[in-house]
Amino acid sequence: MSQTSDLSWHQSTEENGSQPPLSLQNVHVSYRTRAGSVQAVRGVTLDLLAGESLALIGESGSGKTTLGLGIVRLLVDTAEVSPGQIIYRRDGRELDVLSLAEGPLREFRWRDCAMVFQSALNAFNPVLKVWDQVWDTAKAHNWNNRSEVRERFLDLLRFVQLDPDRVIDAYAHELSGGMRQRTLLAISLLLDPQILILDEPTTALDILTQRTIIDLLRRLKEDLHFTMLFISHDLAIAAELADRVATMYAGQVVELGPVSEIFYRPRHPYSLGLIRAVPTVTGGFEELSSIPGSPPDLINLPSGCKFHPRCPFASERCSREEPGLERVGDNHFAACWHTDAVQEDIERNGLRGRRAA
Amino acid sequence: MAPIIELRNVTKYFGSGRDQVTAVDAISLDIEAGEIVCLVGESGCGKSTTGRMVVGLLPPSEGQILYQGQDISAMERADYQDYRRAVQIIHQDPYASLNPTQTVRQMITAPLLRHQTQRGGPTANGSGRRGKRRDAERRAAELLEIVDLTPVADFLDKYPHQLSGGQRQRVSVARALTVEPKFIVADEAVSMVDVSIRVSLLNMLYRLKDEFDVTFLFITHDLALAKYFAWEGRITVMYLGRIVEEGPTPRLITDSRHPYTQALLGAVPEADPELARKKVHVELRSAEIPSLLNLPAGCTFHPRCPYFVPGQCDARVPALESIADGGTVACPVRKAESIQLV
Repeated sequence: MSQTSDLSWHQSTEENGSQPPLSLQNVHVSYRTRAGSVQAVRGVTLDLLAGESLALIGESGSGKTTLGLGIVRLLVDTAEVSPGQIIYRRDGRELDVLSLAEGPLREFRWRDCAMVFQSALNAFNPVLKVWDQVWDTAKAHNWNNRSEVRERFLDLLRFVQLDPDRVIDAYAHELSGGMRQRTLLAISLLLDPQILILDEPTTALDILTQRTIIDLLRRLKEDLHFTMLFISHDLAIAAELADRVATMYAGQVVELGPVSEIFYRPRHPYSLGLIRAVPTVTGGFEELSSIPGSPPDLINLPSGCKFHPRCPFASERCSREEPGLERVGDNHFAACWHTDAVQEDIERNGLRGRRAA
Repeated sequence: MAPIIELRNVTKYFGSGRDQVTAVDAISLDIEAGEIVCLVGESGCGKSTTGRMVVGLLPPSEGQILYQGQDISAMERADYQDYRRAVQIIHQDPYASLNPTQTVRQMITAPLLRHQTQRGGPTANGSGRRGKRRDAERRAAELLEIVDLTPVADFLDKYPHQLSGGQRQRVSVARALTVEPKFIVADEAVSMVDVSIRVSLLNMLYRLKDEFDVTFLFITHDLALAKYFAWEGRITVMYLGRIVEEGPTPRLITDSRHPYTQALLGAVPEADPELARKKVHVELRSAEIPSLLNLPAGCTFHPRCPYFVPGQCDARVPALESIADGGTVACPVRKAESIQLV
């Protein structure tokens, strides 16, 4: 595809593959509230590798969106990131994201790391036409060549399979949900960021529209080698698009590994619980089971392993000692005292119960 | 016996003149007591409008809705009240459907007290107001237990904002059960609930079917959930206000015939990486859904359909025809053609 190769100016990602473009080191985020400190993210250490798609999965309150917003420093004023470090690397330079001043931070956002938000309608200014918003963005980043910007944006609209003439002078409300999501993707690519963070990119879209967005994201990944971080509660997004998966629970990464390991050989009871709770559409009937209880109160977290009150494998130790991420296989880590029991359970009972169609 | 709910050529228009849209276009549907029927389709297909008409929240523009064989628009007052009590709805958004200023106890006892008053007669605890209140409290506690909000004492005095989404939805179900319904429309009832909790909610609803003889019309955009909940029932697929295919769930999931159903099944993202990679996606001719204000002639799916036959599909609205393996399909071109998605 000759057209797509022009869209990305950062073809060198694979050469500097030894250094991950983004490293999170022991990141904590808490929100101050009247009821106390909400510990939304607690000690996340994670590398985003060059050219990979990493999916952060977890339920509401697991800290995945907070983590995403923390990376681009868009958290509300009541949030505090401490302790922790976020290191960004591009072409040999290294940035400490959390200590960036206002000016360099604006440069970092969008040019280095772009975020596509959950609600595509709210991401647009309702009184600006799409083009005006794009032009504002370009100018804010000191790109003042109007025809160049327009040319680039038209290319991007074609890449996301939209009719440029229909979209460029439209207001957001004139576009359908799927068109808005694709327009937003095109805008996020405007300054050729190295990293794309996508928060629930297909949630609230219809099935056939979801499919076009997933196919489009796959092209970004496979043809343009973007480094992508997906944030989703939907396991299917991870299964469709991720190279690696990080399962989050109560603000921590509790399991991290290649997508096939997490889906077929999970070693953390929470990952297994999620897989056993989600039906697939193809094939015969599956027996599903849900995880008992509810997500924890982030102000008064349980002692020991935060999942132990809901965990079928929990022992006395789990209520006392909090497990850390330990290696359980090739590039596969889990934070659980009972990873062997989880493995035995899968060997004995299978991953999911299936009845013939 | 007559079906518990019957829709005969039901049509619903919204607006008028040039702005008139046909949300539901002459659909017919019989639901037998004890059945589980799933209504599946994308936004704008008319599934929620249909659900709201079934419970009497919207009058049909044309056609009839029958409850136990009786046209609800021609019922005597007492029969109509009986129907409105027997047919309940659980809404999608448990954050919007519960009164934020009432406790769980108030929300559940209020309909119980009103219901008792209507029935009249002495109760186990005497006929006084206090006796009625005691009865209502006792029943409220039973209902919370049925929807697994236990220990009950922890929940009775909670306000909605103190509950999680899943717990709120259980309160909605308990509230619907106060009037001993025979038929429940569950409109995207688990869509806003976390994945780990969805299954237990569905299993709870399923239990109600057996324990209380409740018949379900389950409305969802999520085919995987429809498959799980209605495996022993039927799925009806709607597109732009019309039913395009229906049939027993196992047949519809494994051997669908309408190109729209096939496109949907192929498009659903799968929570299984191998399956996601192998699955065939039906290529549509257009990604855009036509506007309800300006529907295509003939089969409304024809501008997107990969099997479009000019002169046929864009000329006549296809009728639902029976197919051998169960159910009906509105596609004369493809009614005999299965496709292999994996």
